[in-house]
Amino acid sequence: MRRFLPDLALSLLVLLVQTTIVQFLAIQTIVPDLVLLWIIALAVRRGQIPGTIAGFALGLIQDLISGPDGMLGLAALAKTMAGFAAGYFYNENKTIQTLGSYRFLLITAGVSALHNIFYFLIVLQGSGISWSGSLLAYGVPTTAYTVAMALIPMFAFARKQLS
Amino acid sequence: MVKRLYDIVLLLKEYVVVAVFLSVSVFLLAFNDTPQMREIRAYAIVAVGLLQNSLSVLPNYLNLRRENEALRELNLALSDEVSRLREGKLENLRLRQLLNLKELGEHRYTGANIVGKNLQLLRNTITLDVGENEGVQVNMPIVSERGLVGKVISTTGHYSIGQILLNKDVRVSAKVQRSRVDGIVRWDGGHDLLLQNVARTDDVQTGDLVITSDYSAFFPKGIKVGVVSETRPLPGSLFQAVTVKPAVDFTALEEVFVMQFKADSSRTVLEQRGR
Repeated sequence: MRRFLPDLALSLLVLLVQTTIVQFLAIQTIVPDLVLLWIIALAVRRGQIPGTIAGFALGLIQDLISGPDGMLGLAALAKTMAGFAAGYFYNENKTIQTLGSYRFLLITAGVSALHNIFYFLIVLQGSGISWSGSLLAYGVPTTAYTVAMALIPMFAFARKQLS
Repeated sequence: MVKRLYDIVLLLKEYVVVAVFLSVSVFLLAFNDTPQMREIRAYAIVAVGLLQNSLSVLPNYLNLRRENEALRELNLALSDEVSRLREGKLENLRLRQLLNLKELGEHRYTGANIVGKNLQLLRNTITLDVGENEGVQVNMPIVSERGLVGKVISTTGHYSIGQILLNKDVRVSAKVQRSRVDGIVRWDGGHDLLLQNVARTDDVQTGDLVITSDYSAFFPKGIKVGVVSETRPLPGSLFQAVTVKPAVDFTALEEVFVMQFKADSSRTVLEQRGR
């Protein structure tokens, strides 16, 4: 249980950063999803079940703090799926290698694409924007931005791997 | 059993966990009333409808059996209802015709149902569910909307027996309406009636209407008896044989009226004295 405490603290920190600082990094309306990035990293490091639980819990918190404009349960659903999918790439003996290599970028790209496709398809329902339009306007840029942000932990773990 | 179930859950724990969380998330989503969720609900309804529609081709024997039983019961009930409605419609029609007759006539009538009928003998009768308590007396004429049926020959408090035209004992004074030719209507055991005592020279044609005449002691004049169906000269006789098809279909007869008509007793006495 104690080994999960740093993860819990970091989860809350990431959530805080996502809701406060990340908006300053917005390119037009597109922002990186640091919470999703953290869930993917957690699932790769800890496994499928911790990744799923973290996805659900953090997603639910995001839903709760999104206020009346949000859709309670949507982020929880999307991030549960993301945590579960990322957990497939968990390998106890190769955690650092996975996180410190381009494989982490590929995993982030795949899982983030899955998450964003699902999330934006639901969020943009009834907005008049077509499915392909919503993917091109929001899904792909958000995925690309999140993958770009994944470079930071990737280089950090690569350095850790070298040292 | 529980151990086996536990083992299965343990083996598939990742899937169980994700299924639980996904279910909770969907449950929470379902409570939203945003435009997006309304749109998704509409899609879901269509999808479920299509799914149900496509699955409906698969036979569900239990449901089919139950549905069949229900439909059979419904069919029976509806058939019964149709039958009763048809019966009611026919009764309505008959009663309407009877009422017309009642309105047109100058005599009082007592409506009666035929509760017994005998058409196989030479002295055929009908039993009516009205009797002396309803004012029915012996020798009163029995009519239907189509014409003359017969006369009452016996009564009790609530029932009476009617002698119909298809009875060898019945004699009815009648006349051909068109030519006013008189005759006596009787039955000889065949299908039709006979108009007797019609001279060869009398003008009687097929299709002529035969009605009761003034000469009858038991029947008022003008009641339709039947239609002439055949005329032929009797060999070696001054008379002709006139066959009359009865106006009333006795086999289908169900309701009749007893006419509150009594022959003038002084006339009867006088006629008997004259003989």
